Amino acid sequence: MILVGELSLWIALLMAAWTTTVSFAGGMQGRPDLIKSGERAMYATFGFVVLASIGLWTALFTHDFSLKFVASFTSANLPKVYLFTAFWAGQEGSLLFWTLIMTMYSAVAVFTNRNRNREMMPYVTGTLGIVALFFLMTMTFSENPFERLDWVPPDGRGMNPQLQNPGMAAHPPMLYLGYVGTAIPFAFAVGALVTRQLDAQWLGAVRRWALVSWFFLTIGITLGMWWAYVELGWAGYWAWDAVENSSFLPWLTVTAFLHSIMIQEKRGMLRKWNVTLVVLSFLLTILGTFITRSGVIESVHAFARSSIGNWFLGFLIVATVLTAYLVSTRLNDLQAKAELESMVSREAAFLYNNLVLVGICFATLWGTLFPILSEWVKGDKITVGPPFFNAVNGPLGLLLLALTGIGPLIAWRRASIANLQRQFTAPLIAGVVVFVTLFALGMRDVYALASYLLAGFVFGTIIQEFVKGVGARRRMYSEGFFAAFFRLIGRNRRRYGGYIVHFGVVVLFCAFAGLMFRRDVTATLKTGESVKATDAYGHEWVFTSQGISSDKQLNRFVTAVTFAVTRDGENMGLLSSEKRQHVNSRNEPTFEPSTEVGILESPKQDVYLVFTGAVDRDTAAVHINFNPLVWWVWFGGIIMAFGGLIVMWPQATKGEREGGYVAQIPMGRDMEPVGAGA
Amino acid sequence: MSLDRNPMTNGRAQSRRAFVVRAGAVVGGLSLLVRRAGAQEQSEQQAGATNSGEEMTSDSYKPVSRPPKPGAKPTMGKVEVENFERQLACPCPCTLDIYTCRTTDFSCGISPAVHGDIQRLVDGGYTATEIMEALTGTYGDFILNSPRKEGFSLAAWFAPFAAVAVGAVGIGALLRSWRLNAKTADAARAARAAAKPANAPAVDATPEELARLEAALREDR
Repeated sequence: MILVGELSLWIALLMAAWTTTVSFAGGMQGRPDLIKSGERAMYATFGFVVLASIGLWTALFTHDFSLKFVASFTSANLPKVYLFTAFWAGQEGSLLFWTLIMTMYSAVAVFTNRNRNREMMPYVTGTLGIVALFFLMTMTFSENPFERLDWVPPDGRGMNPQLQNPGMAAHPPMLYLGYVGTAIPFAFAVGALVTRQLDAQWLGAVRRWALVSWFFLTIGITLGMWWAYVELGWAGYWAWDAVENSSFLPWLTVTAFLHSIMIQEKRGMLRKWNVTLVVLSFLLTILGTFITRSGVIESVHAFARSSIGNWFLGFLIVATVLTAYLVSTRLNDLQAKAELESMVSREAAFLYNNLVLVGICFATLWGTLFPILSEWVKGDKITVGPPFFNAVNGPLGLLLLALTGIGPLIAWRRASIANLQRQFTAPLIAGVVVFVTLFALGMRDVYALASYLLAGFVFGTIIQEFVKGVGARRRMYSEGFFAAFFRLIGRNRRRYGGYIVHFGVVVLFCAFAGLMFRRDVTATLKTGESVKATDAYGHEWVFTSQGISSDKQLNRFVTAVTFAVTRDGENMGLLSSEKRQHVNSRNEPTFEPSTEVGILESPKQDVYLVFTGAVDRDTAAVHINFNPLVWWVWFGGIIMAFGGLIVMWPQATKGEREGGYVAQIPMGRDMEPVGAGA
Repeated sequence: MSLDRNPMTNGRAQSRRAFVVRAGAVVGGLSLLVRRAGAQEQSEQQAGATNSGEEMTSDSYKPVSRPPKPGAKPTMGKVEVENFERQLACPCPCTLDIYTCRTTDFSCGISPAVHGDIQRLVDGGYTATEIMEALTGTYGDFILNSPRKEGFSLAAWFAPFAAVAVGAVGIGALLRSWRLNAKTADAARAARAAAKPANAPAVDATPEELARLEAALREDR
């Protein structure tokens, strides 16, 4: 099976080359047979990549250490679940995994468009073929997962302990599903540009794919934050690391696109901008991959690093030049007669929303690449760390939060003064009430107060929209509260799913602001000794060492310290943190010791214990953190993903669809559209 | 197979074969080029591997010491030292600050050593500014966790806000031009309406406007 897999990779390469060649040729010559052949070759490419993947998984599960990849990232005593995830633990396997998702998406895109968008599909298929071809070439000519060693070692090096975590089983696949998702809209953009079919039709084809990409990126980024928090042991979840930033960049541009696409759909405007965002999202994905895998920037997440940076850089340059050429030669086709009835309109609010999203994207990219630029210009190596990103992106983030609330409150085309007063009053009161309450309770941190003020305002807008919508449905259809609530969402998933996403954003900002109130303490304690600490809420905690223990578990030697914990005299249970020394099947150490943190989790705050080291057999050095509201970061991510799922879930049949709840409101007092977006 | 049996498609099958031959030649040529590039990259990689030792030295610990000032008293307390260390990047590849690294990663020997140097300088009567100068004098600006707000590094801070400001001005101009388009169109429509004969059709709109209107109505339904 391993040999079959290896051969399949080469056949997949040929198939991708065939897909690209005949699809473009078929499109240009108007040859249906070539076009059909290209589409079939795309399915075949996917099939052979599946076979290659099965081959690699077989090698991993059968411990075939003659393969360099298997010997480099697994050992005979690695738990089975991590043999499965070892597939994406290293460069070669992760490239194959990327290609697997890429060809799967491509096959689905080709299949679902077999009777649609026929004029542009040859170019869409051809573009997807090029991307698949690039990844397959990178693998076969540079990073082949089936490369064999000159001799067969008795055991492998094992897997990096930080990757032996459930979060790493799900985080990379989710992120890849999101990353690769940007390739499909990109291919449609190329197809639309080549065929000059740049009306709203191509956008319809890509919107759902953009949502898929956004959905998986959201889950992937949230899982990545969770993994960093529980595994890296520094009590944080986002360090503005180059790899983290790489996943954040396309998320920002896809988010911007999902907002600006509405303007083109409703008003036929922003054609150039939408094409640019689609192309930019894909190019940022490739740029992120280049940053992650080339090693040009240090990262704690860069587990797969090699010399393929040049390949990605080359691909990035070629793709940028070609798409820039396509866009520049189609500017006339992208021209739309744009008219704006009023400067105070949702169109304007969305434009500023796009500006801030792209501004944060630029700031993040700029900060990530600035060390390289500085070294190039001045010859000095400098660090651009979290203080920079927090200082720059903090204000922009708050501006974005404000626009999250403002946008949905302003009507399309033109908002009247009366409309603005009616829409803004309750949310503004909600924000001010939150602000005054927190200030009265003693909160003085400016950033936190601003965050909660705006969070209160945005939360007010969301509640207002739901209250008005549910109320209208109850009046119109005499429905109960819950029936009206669920039908309101079900009948207009795009709008109310969007509000749920906004609610997730509010929750996230509230959680981020909680970081302003972190407390921590370090201590070195013998068995029976205690350390006292006070958290941001004023609770007094006592941690009493129960001693250090050692034992062997699975593929590691574990040294653990355990504490009995009390809060204001109340017993909170035991809290342990471990140092793990992973070993191979001959009990030889494989990596540096790793930390397994202990977390006493609650919605209010996490108590985060890090076993820094054993001073002697009876004395442990520890670092204890009180992290307020961290639990809400995961919850906010889940809400956002859930909202995204509602938005992209296929709408009910056309006959059942209703454009909101305003269409059938009888004339009279209730005739006025409820909610500006109506 | 069916192509060969069907006289109607024979010509197309032949041209497809010709196409395959041509495509094969192109793919073969490309793969040769790629192989050559790969070999070159491999040799570069090997060359790079021999230099890795030099790379390592720039990331390692470099002692920073000064003689204590006469009658020196500590210039900072524990909390101030911790906050000071949060402004400094650990020279190890952890990408964390000195304080976080030394209280997290007990396998890192660099952050505890840098902390030791800082504590000795604090005890020796040196101020935060003097300690920072001593550290940057040894490690360069790399030890700072964020760029300086002076010289070329100022661009790091300035560019994002400048970009957003330029974007905001651009959007303002764009919105004004759209508003102007709307006014011009309104005026043109009004002029057409005034010049329109009494028996003209009721709707005065271009086919594109009508299509857009129909789409909007469809969506509202």
